[in-house]
Amino acid sequence: MDTVVNDFVQVLRNHQLRVSPAESIDALRALEHTGLRERGVVKDTLRATLIKNQEDAGTFDRLFDLYFSMRPAVQKPSARLKLAHDHDHGPPPARLELGEEAGGEAPEDEGHSHDTDESTEMRRFFEEDRMRPANDIHGESERMRLSMFSQELVLNRKPGALESALQRLTYHMRLRRSRNMFNPGGLVPDAGGEELPLDVSAVDLQDFVDHLHELEVDEALIAELEAQSENILRGLPDLIKQMQEREKLLEKDAKDDAAFRRRALRKMLRFSAAEQREMEASIRRIARNIQGAKTRRLKRDRIGRISVPHTLRQNVRYDGVPFEPVLRRRRENKPRVTLLCDVSLSTRNLARFWLHLVYQMQSLFSKVRTFVFVADVAEVTQVFEEHDMNRAVEEIFSGRILDADVNSDFGKAAERFKNEHLPTINHRTTIVILGDGRNNGKPPNVEALEEITRHARRTVWITPEPRWGWSLGSCDMPLYKPLCDRVEVVRDVDGLAHVAEELVRSRA
Amino acid sequence: MFQSIEEVGEKLGEQSYVSDRRLATVVFLATRLGKPVLVEGPAGVGKTELAKSLAGALELDLIRLQCYEGLDEAKALYEWEYSKQLLYTQVLREKIGETLAPAESLREAAEVLRGQEDVFFSENFLVERPILQAIQADEPTVLLIDEIDRADEEFEAFLLEFLSDYQVSIPEIGTVRAARPPVVILTSNRTRELSEALKRRCLHLQIGYPSSEVELEIVRLKAPGISGALSEELVETIQDLRTLDLRKAPSIGETLDWAQSLVVLNAPKLSKDLIESTISVIAKYDRDAQRMLDHLGVNARERKDLGQMEPTGEKPEEAMYEMHRSVHKHVH
Repeated sequence: MDTVVNDFVQVLRNHQLRVSPAESIDALRALEHTGLRERGVVKDTLRATLIKNQEDAGTFDRLFDLYFSMRPAVQKPSARLKLAHDHDHGPPPARLELGEEAGGEAPEDEGHSHDTDESTEMRRFFEEDRMRPANDIHGESERMRLSMFSQELVLNRKPGALESALQRLTYHMRLRRSRNMFNPGGLVPDAGGEELPLDVSAVDLQDFVDHLHELEVDEALIAELEAQSENILRGLPDLIKQMQEREKLLEKDAKDDAAFRRRALRKMLRFSAAEQREMEASIRRIARNIQGAKTRRLKRDRIGRISVPHTLRQNVRYDGVPFEPVLRRRRENKPRVTLLCDVSLSTRNLARFWLHLVYQMQSLFSKVRTFVFVADVAEVTQVFEEHDMNRAVEEIFSGRILDADVNSDFGKAAERFKNEHLPTINHRTTIVILGDGRNNGKPPNVEALEEITRHARRTVWITPEPRWGWSLGSCDMPLYKPLCDRVEVVRDVDGLAHVAEELVRSRA
Repeated sequence: MFQSIEEVGEKLGEQSYVSDRRLATVVFLATRLGKPVLVEGPAGVGKTELAKSLAGALELDLIRLQCYEGLDEAKALYEWEYSKQLLYTQVLREKIGETLAPAESLREAAEVLRGQEDVFFSENFLVERPILQAIQADEPTVLLIDEIDRADEEFEAFLLEFLSDYQVSIPEIGTVRAARPPVVILTSNRTRELSEALKRRCLHLQIGYPSSEVELEIVRLKAPGISGALSEELVETIQDLRTLDLRKAPSIGETLDWAQSLVVLNAPKLSKDLIESTISVIAKYDRDAQRMLDHLGVNARERKDLGQMEPTGEKPEEAMYEMHRSVHKHVH
């Protein structure tokens, strides 16, 4: 039994779920009490002992169902136990995306087992009545096929080598993907969760297959992979078509008139409740890290220095015997945040995310002042306070506050900010700059930013553009970076959560 | 203690707490393994209620510790009772003098006094706070640590010793260990993420919104005055409203509040008028209320206009409104 639970825990860990040894011991102890008779109970038990984050519950459910496979039996009971042994599939691999992205038909292949005897014994408990018929195994989704495929890799006892081959392939894919420069932020709402289409060239795949040949693995496996690569190639025209459609869409986007843009923006700004909550939680985390300076006044506290006058006053009732010392210390001020937000064309795609972030921050912190800039700077704190999210954004892009349609010029904006709004910043203020640092060839004016950061307590720059993109085009991020205390690359809500996480960690 | 998972469900049911299989499994394991349970879920789904019902089912005392920002061990664990200590020193002043009389030097007197120290730092002078109460109780208890996410992170860390070994260390006295470990239930609304260390020590239970059958059962149990048809209509409406994108979706607590207000109002069925006038029971934000009304087809503004004009009966809304009015008249 322990083998199976440990094996299952390993699978969970492979999927980035954090399970400690103490927890797997708990799971074993718990199973002793509940027994293994009922599948549902076992599942609940494992979930209660192993999974402590709600977010992980979905992954757990999926993995549990995969691991303890569970199609209702169609075949006769006598055949089941044997089947359980013969057609059991191993733990699904971490690299599941590959199969999905490839979208191809995996080759038919049957019957592999690397189970030890104990684990098979354990699985019998789960599978006696539920073992899927062998033929059905390919009726499952791509993920299933891939798990077959990955098991082969394990079987061939070349996990390291093959892993590297796979990594190479995915690396190529990623590289291709990230070369897509139509969309700096990657946050067009219509794209939603879906990634940019893959662009895998035939050469890459051939490379990969060649590489496999060098590894002296099973010929059958290579044949399979080749078959899969065929499928990837077959899927290519579709991908290219998708790509072209996207391009067309984006072109239209660039030419659109103001009304159209406003409409699109309104569409962008619809956040689901879950996203909103996640965002709020992330910002709260960041808030805890953005600290103001210490207050001048001392306040009573649990820790700190003994204050003689207060202690005397407090202990008059004990005959002046200082039974209850009064401690005081300087408390930390609430953070003061000044947000500088780029609303130029190059970051337009990010508006949904950007301005939402700003809106959230303003509602969560007590002292936030918000400025937007393109080539000019304007304060919009009031706008955000008076209107709701959508109205406020519409107002900003309407051109009444500042000309939002010129090329962004951070240098000039910083100069204007320095001249007009510098007094709003003091040693308690944290400046958060949201922007991509693209100056379109205009002078970067590092001095102005330096002047601003010198007055502030801390400067955090949040950019949507990954670091490798800084060297491309007219991006002045490398110049601005040394002036900031932190530069974070944030592309979506998840990314923001990640940054918050890191800030918390670096503080601890 | 419970013998089986089924028994947990039954016993909780006797306390009019409707549980599902998962909840029963986790509670069963908690009593068997002696591990604390961390219950997470949105507000008002019965997290706190679980602890109360569990105490009732096990016939144990419930000790409750409500967490809040700034909660410290003096409020959660123990506190020295300074005034009592002082009183004792005053009253025993003579006796102390006597005890110290034979001592010749100051050093010797201090030595003697040190020998008597435990008189003044004994459990006698401790004010027990919930956690210490739970540890020192003669019978096992159910300890509810409510809304742990409201307490500071330091407090969370402070709880770790107690949660893993059911013991606390008091510097002046030593380690106090629970003779009969309490059943500990922690609840959290997830206003912040709890530390990994805390989660690791607990069994985790996620309570979400119930299915309509379960909710119906809860409504029947907790709001007995309500008629069958009305409760069904009510639960259906609530379940429907939960699918909306709301800031605070109505939870079981709100369902019950609503059911009870309908009972008080002696309403025969959910009419639009009724929904409009009682929407504030289930909606905690203005925007939510508006959204709910829109979704249910009750539009306050339009209705006002209708009231001023003579209804023509041409628009469908008007027809419906008229229909409801006639239904109303009919009923009264």
